Amino acid sequence: MTGGRWRDAAVLALLALWAVPFFWQALTSLKPDAALRAVPPLMAAPPTLAHYRVVVERSVMPEALWNSFGVAVLTTVVALVLGVPGAYALARLPVPGKRALLLGIVACTAFPQITTVGPLFTALRALGLRDTWAALVLADTSFALPVVLWLLTGFVREIPIDVEEAAALDGAGRLGVLARVVLPLMTPGVVSAALLVFLMSWNEFLFAFTFTATEASRTVPVALALFPGVFEVPWGDIAAASMLASLPPIVIVIVLQRWLVRGLTAGALRE
Amino acid sequence: MLVLALLVAVAGCAGGGEERGPVTLVFKHAKILGPADPVPELLREFERRHPGVRVKPESLSWNSDDQHQFFVINMEGRGAPFDVMMLDVVWVAEFARAGWLLDLSPWVSRDELAPHFPSTIEPATWNGRVWAMPWLMNVGMLYYRADLLARHGLSPPRTWEELLAQVTRVRAAERDARLDGVVWQGRQYEGLTVNALEALWANGARVLGDDGTPLPEPARAADALAFLRGLITSGASPSWVTAADEELSRRHFGDGRAIFLRNWPYAMDLFQQAGSAVRGKVGIAALPGRAGASEGVGASGGAHLGVDRRTRHPELAVALVRFLASAAAQRTMSVRGALNPTRMALYHDAEVLRAHPDFPVVYELMLRARPRPVTPYYLMLSTTLQPEFSAALVGVKTPSAAVAQARRRLVYLLEGLR
Amino acid sequence: MIDRRRADVRAGVALLAPAVLVLGALAAWPGVWVLWLSLQQRIPIFGIDRFIGLAHYRFLAGDARFWNAVRVTIVFSTVSVALELALGVAVALALQRLTRGRRLAVTLLLLPWALPSVVVGRAFEWLYHPSAGLVNFVLGGRAVNWLGEPALALPALIAADVWRTMPFVALLCYARVLGIPGEVYEAARVDGAGRLATVRAITLPLLRRVLLIALLFRTLDALRAFDLMFVLTGGGPASTTETLTVYAYRSLFQTLQLGFGGAIGVVVFALVMLVAWAYLRTMERPETTA
Repeated sequence: MTGGRWRDAAVLALLALWAVPFFWQALTSLKPDAALRAVPPLMAAPPTLAHYRVVVERSVMPEALWNSFGVAVLTTVVALVLGVPGAYALARLPVPGKRALLLGIVACTAFPQITTVGPLFTALRALGLRDTWAALVLADTSFALPVVLWLLTGFVREIPIDVEEAAALDGAGRLGVLARVVLPLMTPGVVSAALLVFLMSWNEFLFAFTFTATEASRTVPVALALFPGVFEVPWGDIAAASMLASLPPIVIVIVLQRWLVRGLTAGALRE
Repeated sequence: MLVLALLVAVAGCAGGGEERGPVTLVFKHAKILGPADPVPELLREFERRHPGVRVKPESLSWNSDDQHQFFVINMEGRGAPFDVMMLDVVWVAEFARAGWLLDLSPWVSRDELAPHFPSTIEPATWNGRVWAMPWLMNVGMLYYRADLLARHGLSPPRTWEELLAQVTRVRAAERDARLDGVVWQGRQYEGLTVNALEALWANGARVLGDDGTPLPEPARAADALAFLRGLITSGASPSWVTAADEELSRRHFGDGRAIFLRNWPYAMDLFQQAGSAVRGKVGIAALPGRAGASEGVGASGGAHLGVDRRTRHPELAVALVRFLASAAAQRTMSVRGALNPTRMALYHDAEVLRAHPDFPVVYELMLRARPRPVTPYYLMLSTTLQPEFSAALVGVKTPSAAVAQARRRLVYLLEGLR
Repeated sequence: MIDRRRADVRAGVALLAPAVLVLGALAAWPGVWVLWLSLQQRIPIFGIDRFIGLAHYRFLAGDARFWNAVRVTIVFSTVSVALELALGVAVALALQRLTRGRRLAVTLLLLPWALPSVVVGRAFEWLYHPSAGLVNFVLGGRAVNWLGEPALALPALIAADVWRTMPFVALLCYARVLGIPGEVYEAARVDGAGRLATVRAITLPLLRRVLLIALLFRTLDALRAFDLMFVLTGGGPASTTETLTVYAYRSLFQTLQLGFGGAIGVVVFALVMLVAWAYLRTMERPETTA
């Protein structure tokens, strides 16, 4: 039916319209300086990569990208290493005080960052961890771990119990069952959780702004927020830096969409 | 848990590094505003005089609040210290009280400070000891379009009421709808505190009384704020001054779009540059006062040089400070850049006068400059006052409400600091 | 049998303990410590460290700036969440009729949500630029100062926030409606129900549970929001966009007043917990479970 085709196009156009702020920023990153302040027409002069060159060669963004990547990867690893076994225990094993623990973990996801940032700052200062990746990994773990636990507990519960019971009958111990049978089945859930944690850590701003001081550990959101403009704000450069800062999120949304959506909707739809 | 510990250890090494080889001093300073930056040349000269020493300049955001936040967050705990720091004049007491500065008294005597402007000496000392050396000086002043005033037979105004009358007259005659009356800095940052303080002082009000009570003349203070708000509502100042900082207002005046400008001395060099729309047309004068209240007085500003207490090379760091604050270095900075020295004698120096013919006028203004309250808690005062001042300027609160609430907050703040 | 169970308990504790310990250290303990901090006058750079009881809270109770922050937080949260929910449902309903291009649609939909909030902040800063911004151009060229006018800054902030959070609600609703079997709609059409009536009678009730969950998540997020207002407006002009979080942050880190800033942080915490508790109580009532 052609009516359906038109409707599809209209819906997609509507969504593209909603995303205009993003596309406008992408366009701005390619506009030469002289044409920046002239809104009409959209692209007066031929597009230029000058802003990207400035950002890559003369700004702190390359280091910030590296810092963000390292912190996000490490946070993901830590959250999974701690969260996968913990989720299995919460889902399957008779842990004493499980209900209270679950409630506590869910409460942790609701903790405002502004509440814990003061004590964390003092603690990190005392430990001498200012301006290091470790500080950010620890801080990000504080909100990533509860999310992983909560998500994965649900995923484990979805795995039919007979699979584990069959393995147990074959004589495997609990840990053996976990490693050889449950983990492979958890993989989709783990991937979703990993993507969410990576995104959350990449985008995190408050802790990063407070706990980092120099380019040694500054992450991308902080670098972008502090993007230097001595006299006038360099809108084109900022737009280019913004595009670079958005690369991993864009990649995840386009390429790894299925896992991301699964992680996002799993928590909400299950409850 | 072991994995976690390993990861933390690895990540902890990822930040920070170590410097080996010849002695390296780190000099942290803000980006120098103005057409040229003479500091690198001076640092090379210092290196020549001290073989085996390298000076590594590291620049900070030029926004004073950002610099302060950087220092506050970084001066605590371990981490590679800076050796020499360029400090805004209002931070010296705070950093000294916090124990971050090296006490310079063993090296620098009071006599050595005497050649500098008096209003720079007070902030450099605290608790009877010397904590920093004066380096750059600033004073709030009035820029005016000498050509426009001359055309109408006017001389620079002594009071704000005069200024407003002149604005009305000149705008009516010039018939330029885009010509603004007076532009200043009203954005919510330290610059706003400075502008507001100057307005308070012009009206005979203070921020701190002699006994430390905050805002001891609330009615006058409220009237001063009401006056600033009135500049906007009457159209003498464009409404965007509430988002303007030094550079935004400077550019506006420099494009010939305003009759009067309140700013620091650095702007004059930029106005006199080749290609400037107002080249040769700008005059400077003291800030006006309020009729029947007080004479106008400019706030003093500027930068001092301090040494980090944790420096590994105290002798060299102090040597660098004294070198940069020396007469020769300050002369170079004022001749080559738009930087005002703190040494009074340089304002009558032939070479300096050739580069800055207006210095005699600036000298008089600087002699009368008034420092912002010299207290370790100045920044706390300022950040408490800024939202209140801003609310009054923007019309969200009445000036008297703003002053009353500012007083309440300051009382609580100062109580907690005792 | 009992041995097996005991072995299970041991295994469970062993597997869970590291996570619980880490969470305890990184989240629970700071949460408790901040309560203690809020009862103190603590300014590390001046070495000030003394117990003052509830003095900070007493001050806040009479502090105009605090109540302004409460007002801004509540207005921001309610308007933002209401708009997100309404728009999210609308978008989900539109997506429901999509036959092809679903992957592209979800990509476009999720982009605003996935971007770092700082990227969104700077993008909207540019969009709202008085002379060079796209918004003013689209509105006919008047140089409206969106982020500088006290009356306009909060709406502008809310618009930016709705832009980036609506996709989350839309996605949740969309996932839910995808699960509604086609026969349900077939039956309705056979009964002669029009589109609007169908939506009202069938889709919305089935969406109700998801919407309630989205309401909870989004409200808690909005109450704790910090990044966007800090980067876009810094709380200005004149505190018209200063939420409790921004007020707390300025007190904490502009002058390192850890006690006073901690007190405001505790208020945010209490507010969030209160809303969560109220919500969960409502959810427990039988009428609301769909």
